[in-house]
Amino acid sequence: MRRIETDILVVGGGPAGLSAATSAAGAGARVDLVDAGAAPGGQYWMQDPVAGATTTQSAEGSAAIAAARAAGVAIHSGAEVWAAFPGGEIMAHDAEGPVVFQARSIVVASGAQDRVYPFPGWTLPGVMTPGAGQRLAKLGKTAPGKRIALAGNGPFLYAVAATLASIDATPKLLLESGKARAPMLGLLARHPARIAEAVSLLAAARAVPNWRRGHVVTEALGEDRVEAIRIAPVDDAGTVDTARSERIDGIDALLVGWGFRPMIELTALLRCRHAYDRALGGWYCVASPATGLTSVEGVYAAGEVTGIAGSRPARLSGALAGLSAAAGLGFASPGNEERRKRLVRALASARSFGHELGRLAPPPAGIADLANDDTIVCRCENVTRGEIAAALAEGTRAVAGAKMWTRAGMGRCQGRVCGSAVAEIAASLGGTEIAAAGFNPPRIPLRPVPLPAVLEATRAAGTGETH
Amino acid sequence: MSEVTIFVDGEPVPAEAGRPLGALMHRLGPAMRRTEEGAPRGLFCGMGVCFDCLVTIDGVADRRACMTPIRDGMRVETGLAGGTPS
Ligand code: FES
Repeated sequence: MRRIETDILVVGGGPAGLSAATSAAGAGARVDLVDAGAAPGGQYWMQDPVAGATTTQSAEGSAAIAAARAAGVAIHSGAEVWAAFPGGEIMAHDAEGPVVFQARSIVVASGAQDRVYPFPGWTLPGVMTPGAGQRLAKLGKTAPGKRIALAGNGPFLYAVAATLASIDATPKLLLESGKARAPMLGLLARHPARIAEAVSLLAAARAVPNWRRGHVVTEALGEDRVEAIRIAPVDDAGTVDTARSERIDGIDALLVGWGFRPMIELTALLRCRHAYDRALGGWYCVASPATGLTSVEGVYAAGEVTGIAGSRPARLSGALAGLSAAAGLGFASPGNEERRKRLVRALASARSFGHELGRLAPPPAGIADLANDDTIVCRCENVTRGEIAAALAEGTRAVAGAKMWTRAGMGRCQGRVCGSAVAEIAASLGGTEIAAAGFNPPRIPLRPVPLPAVLEATRAAGTGETH
Repeated sequence: MSEVTIFVDGEPVPAEAGRPLGALMHRLGPAMRRTEEGAPRGLFCGMGVCFDCLVTIDGVADRRACMTPIRDGMRVETGLAGGTPS
């Protein structure tokens, strides 16, 4: 088995991971970076696999990738981390098989995924996340459909509209649950540096022929693929008025999502402390704003895994975590402390913008209740809302309990897709706080890898834990 | 850019090497497989998280189409009835 000893292992090759790796390597540490993508860049700095950097945003990314390489970072692409053991041993798997990293410190910059909630018809082909639509367009130069509806909330929808327009696939319909404009204007007035970006995103939204605020998709209809959708008004309290729903025919792709969810599987496996804030995407890994250190010694976290805030805080928190991780191992040059202080200040300001933005566009309160009793909630194991409700009625309160009873969250995705919804369904039925439902504890392997690789690696690590 | 040919359920399909297989399969689909209950599924997350895009690639079952770059001569089986994705 390949075994790589390194000072610092960075997990994730997006803005946070690349910045962390570059700053740690710049301080003199040996740095390895693993990333699941075919090329580094992550979701924000996605690189066209054929044409290379084709936009200013991806050019910024290719510059960051080049900077990391120039600083001496060894980048391992197409490698998914599937286990982590105390003592800095991290198991990954790439096209050539297993590779084990032995690191003195770890920076987790695992990023985020689209946050989704179930509704009738959401498993039909043609229904996907806005992020999936973005990746189809950017990586595959493929339009999600000819008559696209884009729905959910948050500024990412506008960015997806812009990407789709760039491949001549402007959505026909843009549905946003929020409708208040004043708080957004107030936020921009306090962060004038962000106005230009907001104006260009707004232009992308305006290019959509039918843009409706205060609406949600309540159903996707079709036989073997989505053919129509049903939409309904939603009020400021998050109540969906299904009595006033209307049907829109001729839709062949529905992109729906509610911002992002931090990917906490690795930090949870490493037993870092996590906290819950729905406006920050749900559960996130708690990291010190002064260093990026988590509650576990030698484990740092940066970027969206520490709470959804956007690419700018991701870069800054990455640089901060990389610098601190290197300093923690004794790699520090004279200017480091000054640089760290500047990063801490810039990060606080950038994060406050990102967090406020998140608070302006939360998913409507009752969004998880769009699912009927026979709507599939867990897409892996085909568990319906009714089955989850029955388990809850028998006394199960937590997400982990619902999993035991119904298999919701037991499948390949380990509840990464349905977890937010199961927690909110539990809270809504039980009248409890969402955070009280907890989250699915991750299990090894985090991603499916061939069993012999699991056995070999776990035997080597001496834990024997394979379930 | 390099034009290659891959085989989807035995049928030759022109494709661009390096792009995600999931995108090509979506163009042919959008259904890529059926669940045990027979329900069609297609690309959902597009980033390797949801496992809805599972296909058999070169004889290996349950590969994620969205995470697999296209290679010349790749053989993809969808398990959809009728041979080609509908
Ligand atoms: S579409 Fe979700 S894993 Fe491929």
